[in-house]
Amino acid sequence: MISREEIDNLAELARLKLGEEEAVALQKDISNILEYVGQVSAVSAGTQGDALKPGLSKASPLALHNVMREDAPRDADDPMAGKREQIIAAFPRHEKEYLVVRKIIQKDE
Amino acid sequence: MNKLNELSITEAAQKLQAGEITAVDLVRACVAEIEREKPVGKCDRLNAYLEVFTDVEEQARLSDERRALSPTKGKESPLLGIPLAIKDNILMEGRKVSAASKILEGYVATYDATVIKKLKAAGAIFLGRTNMDEFALGGSTENSAFGPTRNPHDETRVAGGTSGGSAAAVAAHMALGALGSDTGGSVRNPASFCGVVGLKPTYGAVSRSGLIAAVSSFDQIGPLTKTVADAELLFNTIRGHDPLDSTSVREETYHKRNATKKIAVPKILNASRELFDVEGVGKKFKETGRMLVERGYKFIPDIDLPSLEPALAAYYIINFAEVSSNLARFDGVRYGLSLKGNSLLDDYAKSRGEGFGPEVRRRIMLGTYVLSAGYYDAYYAKAVAAREQLRREYEKAFEDVDVILTPTMPTSAWTIGEKSDPLSMYLADAFTVPANLTGNPAISIPVKRERNELPIGMQLTAAHGDEAALFTVGKDIEVVE
Repeated sequence: MISREEIDNLAELARLKLGEEEAVALQKDISNILEYVGQVSAVSAGTQGDALKPGLSKASPLALHNVMREDAPRDADDPMAGKREQIIAAFPRHEKEYLVVRKIIQKDE
Repeated sequence: MNKLNELSITEAAQKLQAGEITAVDLVRACVAEIEREKPVGKCDRLNAYLEVFTDVEEQARLSDERRALSPTKGKESPLLGIPLAIKDNILMEGRKVSAASKILEGYVATYDATVIKKLKAAGAIFLGRTNMDEFALGGSTENSAFGPTRNPHDETRVAGGTSGGSAAAVAAHMALGALGSDTGGSVRNPASFCGVVGLKPTYGAVSRSGLIAAVSSFDQIGPLTKTVADAELLFNTIRGHDPLDSTSVREETYHKRNATKKIAVPKILNASRELFDVEGVGKKFKETGRMLVERGYKFIPDIDLPSLEPALAAYYIINFAEVSSNLARFDGVRYGLSLKGNSLLDDYAKSRGEGFGPEVRRRIMLGTYVLSAGYYDAYYAKAVAAREQLRREYEKAFEDVDVILTPTMPTSAWTIGEKSDPLSMYLADAFTVPANLTGNPAISIPVKRERNELPIGMQLTAAHGDEAALFTVGKDIEVVE
């Protein structure tokens, strides 16, 4: 079974505050689920790179490729165009047009 | 005549066109059904809707005006004046959207999803937003932060999920049709449990711009409707390439196929599966097969798709991994629930710990685990390889057949609270996840049932881009009343 230390470490990595009861329950749940999904170990796979480049021709719509857009200002018909005010209104805290965040660099005490 | 809210989209469109009814009549009939026996504090008796919009009559009036001004009386827009329900993870500008999560409670969408833009252009009316499993993670709508949706055929049972609210709303005639999203069966599962048609299009066929992401390499928006023809109509309206979704494909991406009238059944179905309800679902499956043979289809039994065996495990690993990264954007800083802790790190942990529900937290933890340095190769890399092998096996299978037939779900709807162990809920997705792993289109069609029976759906899966095959065979399965 996955250890309590591992649960605490995962929670910290995932930025999740967990209650005591939940952390205990997760030890069992996560162990059960990992045991089940662990059956993929039987999959004879090449390397990760092989899996992502499955010998498809570049023309295949299923071949993975990056889709980039021009580094240009958004058009007027872009869904986010003209939405500045609504986006600011969704900030949990704002001053004028600025998002208020917690001070990150603190003075030495 | 049926009550107006009981019409299919196609039937209602004809009556609107002929001037027999108005959009206002249709909307009023739907709203009357929504409000019938509704408990205090809820939108409807099934908890299908999280919000019913207050401007529905106004939308309907505008649509009737648009028709009156149209030289063709709206003939070219069969969705003009049709009231639809929209899953609570699809953005509509100026309206609340929460993905049924506390972390987004009260959040107002700043733009329209591409599918909404298309439906607006077609003149559809939006009745409200429907309940779902939080962030589309689950299989029964029991993971909603706002309580489960009840099955209209038996209110002690689940509606399925994650698009449970959309499926229940259509099945209970609280909307003429609906949109859901399908990550591992989330349109097809509730369609099967509620007795409606549910389509997951080919990956990339429908733009996800404006869909709150769950698992980006699986998610597709799809229609839930009363008939196959209605699903086809909605799909044709919302499909299409969109520069705002870099995974969206063009219509010509996949070449047209000629129908062979051949149907395959995978071998793995014969393997005894703990969950599979042989008496109920198994019997209906055989009946459907016999019926299709009578209609001139040829069956290829026991086709070998060996990678179906690890498919569910692979699906969940990829699901956890992508969920943990997609949901990292909810940090309590820029929007959504924002709680204050003792430090910046504590702000994040508190907002996320309290804002996300238990299943979401569990999957984020699992995703963090399978992506961590020591375990990446053992889980994620293997899952990606299994996915690729399955995709190749499917591609090969569709060289010979039009569709693969399976049941949609191993059982009919379970009772609310019955599956308390998370793994037992995951196992119910065995038949639906392959199409998400491979990107193939799949549809669930309700089969004939007696009055006292719960609905059961059969699933058809077709080659990439061949939704046409799903509609053709689907129309031969569906019961015409």
